[in-house]
Amino acid sequence: MLQAHSYLWHYLWVAPNLYLLVLAYWMWRRGRRRNYPVFFTFAIVASLGQLILYAADIIPWVSADAFWTVLWCGLLVEALVKFVLIGELFEHIFGPYKSLVKFGKILIRGVGAVLVFIAALVAAFSPVSNPHIIVSGPHLLEQTIYLIESGLLLAIFVLAAYFRLSSDRTSLGICLGLAISACVHLATWAVAANNSSKEVSVLLDLLHMGAYHVSVLIWSYYLLVPEKAPKKHRDPSTGPSAGPSAGSPHEEDLDVWNRELERLVH
Amino acid sequence: MTIAIILVVAALGTLIVILTFTVSQGLQSSGRTGPATEIRPMDVAAFRNLVDPAEDDYLRRRLPASDFRLVRRERLRAMAAYVQSAKRNAEVLVRIAQNSTLAADAQTAEAARRLEDHAHLLQRNCMFAIVKIYIALAWPNSSLAAAPVLQGYEELNHSAMLLGRLQNPAATMRI
Repeated sequence: MLQAHSYLWHYLWVAPNLYLLVLAYWMWRRGRRRNYPVFFTFAIVASLGQLILYAADIIPWVSADAFWTVLWCGLLVEALVKFVLIGELFEHIFGPYKSLVKFGKILIRGVGAVLVFIAALVAAFSPVSNPHIIVSGPHLLEQTIYLIESGLLLAIFVLAAYFRLSSDRTSLGICLGLAISACVHLATWAVAANNSSKEVSVLLDLLHMGAYHVSVLIWSYYLLVPEKAPKKHRDPSTGPSAGPSAGSPHEEDLDVWNRELERLVH
Repeated sequence: MTIAIILVVAALGTLIVILTFTVSQGLQSSGRTGPATEIRPMDVAAFRNLVDPAEDDYLRRRLPASDFRLVRRERLRAMAAYVQSAKRNAEVLVRIAQNSTLAADAQTAEAARRLEDHAHLLQRNCMFAIVKIYIALAWPNSSLAAAPVLQGYEELNHSAMLLGRLQNPAATMRI
């Protein structure tokens, strides 16, 4: 079961990509691709890329060189789309807050530059897993991409937490899925680069395919399951402490709030 | 192998932080209670005195250098406590504003959005101010600009007052 070309291995390589394609189709039918055009593109590019790679792996007449060339191309295109997707998510999370957009952009660019530097250093000092550059290259490239990706996502989450931004649920879900995939991939590639055992390599492959499957399920959940509509306050005199779940307005809450505001001034 | 261990630890740490944030975000939206009671009172006049460069100049002229550094560090510590308090109040006001942006009345919703904007601006200024204060603690003779925090805090007060008035026009408010 936990071997290359087992049923589980085939399932984990093919199924998440098929689910992702179905999700993209659903987004197109429901018009949600207009809200998340880059995620829509990512869903198609990533899933088709992986399915082509799977086909290249199992078709006997595809040479090893051709397989690794397909992997290189897919990796470069996917990386480009992923970074544009992070930009889209940033816009969704910080866009509604005028006072934070500019600051956030400067900070994210700074974090990005530092991460590129760190990733280049890590790549320079990482052991080469295979003497053929066409094989070891993608490993290093993936490690570099996942390091930058997880760092950028962490920066977005930390900033959103610091400023207590009420980010929209779908963006948060897409970010979470990307982060799980990026972090698990980063860890597995780091271990794989230092490991020559084939059994361990297969286990790590299964682990990162499983993580990708979980990510696809998270994206599906956040995109397919509708968010509970928040209740609008009917009465304009509803107190500040009466949140969306708080039902009827409380006069006492208003008094407390006003008292606290007076204390705040003096 | 060392790089691999560092990367695995970094990846796990990142994942834990992100999952913690996601869970806390979910809990936050499901259980919001009266945040107004969490606002801590702040003596703005005393804070203004602390950040006034003229006060620092006066102390610099009057005190010997070593005494000045001691006093300045004490003042910086007090300033840090004020800024932390302002940041906490801004966080509470962000939550109040987020609750009120759902108000049916457009004017109230707009005031809530403005309050949220001002509160975020203050949070950002507090972040910078804290960094500057800690740098100044190491180098007490440097000039320090915590004035944006004060200015932001006063703007925040005005926004909060406006939202309060819109939500309860009958209540008497001193601005």
